[in-house]
Amino acid sequence: MTEPVLPPLKPILMKDRMSVLFIEKGNLDVLDGAFVVVDKTGVRTHIPVGGVACLMLEPGTRVSHAAVTLASRVGCLLVWVGDGGVRLYASGQPGGARADRLLYQAKLALDDDARLKVVRKMYAMRFHEEPPERRSVAQLRGIEGVRVRKMYELLAKQYKVEWKSRNYDHTEWGSGDVPNRCLSSANACLYGICEAAILAAGYAPAVGFIHTGKPQSFVYDVADIFKFDTVVPVAFQIAARNPGNPEREIRLACRDAFRQSRMLQRIIPTIDQVLAAGGLAMPKPPDEAVAPAIPNKEGIGDVGHRG
Amino acid sequence: MLVIVVENIPPRLRGRLAIWLLEVRAGVYVGDTSRRVREMIWEQVERGVEEGNAVMAWSTNTESGFDFMTLGKNRRIPKEMDGIKLVSFLPENGVVGDEAVIG
Repeated sequence: MTEPVLPPLKPILMKDRMSVLFIEKGNLDVLDGAFVVVDKTGVRTHIPVGGVACLMLEPGTRVSHAAVTLASRVGCLLVWVGDGGVRLYASGQPGGARADRLLYQAKLALDDDARLKVVRKMYAMRFHEEPPERRSVAQLRGIEGVRVRKMYELLAKQYKVEWKSRNYDHTEWGSGDVPNRCLSSANACLYGICEAAILAAGYAPAVGFIHTGKPQSFVYDVADIFKFDTVVPVAFQIAARNPGNPEREIRLACRDAFRQSRMLQRIIPTIDQVLAAGGLAMPKPPDEAVAPAIPNKEGIGDVGHRG
Repeated sequence: MLVIVVENIPPRLRGRLAIWLLEVRAGVYVGDTSRRVREMIWEQVERGVEEGNAVMAWSTNTESGFDFMTLGKNRRIPKEMDGIKLVSFLPENGVVGDEAVIG
């Protein structure tokens, strides 16, 4: 075999990327080494997949093996979503690429004292003030619930939206009122980039601190830090206008909000900061550990990307 | 802002450039990247350009507000004039005549 002409593809940093792109229909494939969506009339659209944090694939898309391989090479998270962003399935970037980060995250989650410190830091960043002293995680969760309900009411009033409560049936899109649907749609965008960032930073989406027991517990934890500064106001703003195609409007507005808040620059540093609040050191490899026989190649991407 | 224009390059490099940039016209790619990503992309062009030629221009903090570099044979070649980069256009037969005096 001859030496490949072009250098191998490597992921670029999360902060250098666009946030989300939705693909509604068409066949995702690779042509001349580029990621393309081909519609039924044969029109092909190039997707600069190397510069996107996550690609949301809606019903009506088909993906070739080559396309999935390419997406994973460049570190773009593929997320399969239902209509309007109701989450179904995700893949494309396997995650778990860094044992040291996973062990660190697990150590923090297993140590009651460290976990409480992480949770307190999450609340402090979220509400921009220190939570009350000497409270357990469960007590803090209760305080948070009350505060969140108040924030929803306040924002609803501010944007003049009729608001009952956060209420939705995740199995059926179209149940729930317009503000709730807008919120679900906006959250889907946020969860997509949060999961992409968690994987890129080398952590596990399932190991949460406030949320537990879900495949994306840590995604919800991280998303909550940003939620009320970004997507929730956007959702209420759009809901107040009651447009014909709220999902599209939500996506555009979310992308703007992410750009304005410099979300992709901030998200990985925020994750590191929150975990560092636990006060534990990143685990060192044990003395008897043997370094890999084939050293890892250096890339220009994030640590959790598989090079 | 980053612009790359390529001529006569193999399809695999054209496809490769579309991984990060948008091909707005045949052989014209635009994007907005960090310095590291730009250098990485240019390395790919260097490796895959073969018989073709390429030019890359990007906004930066110079007097003209941008900088550019070229690769491969072309009648337009960069020329520095008192610290400002300009472009000389060679005659068709490729022979450079009496050098024009500018400035």
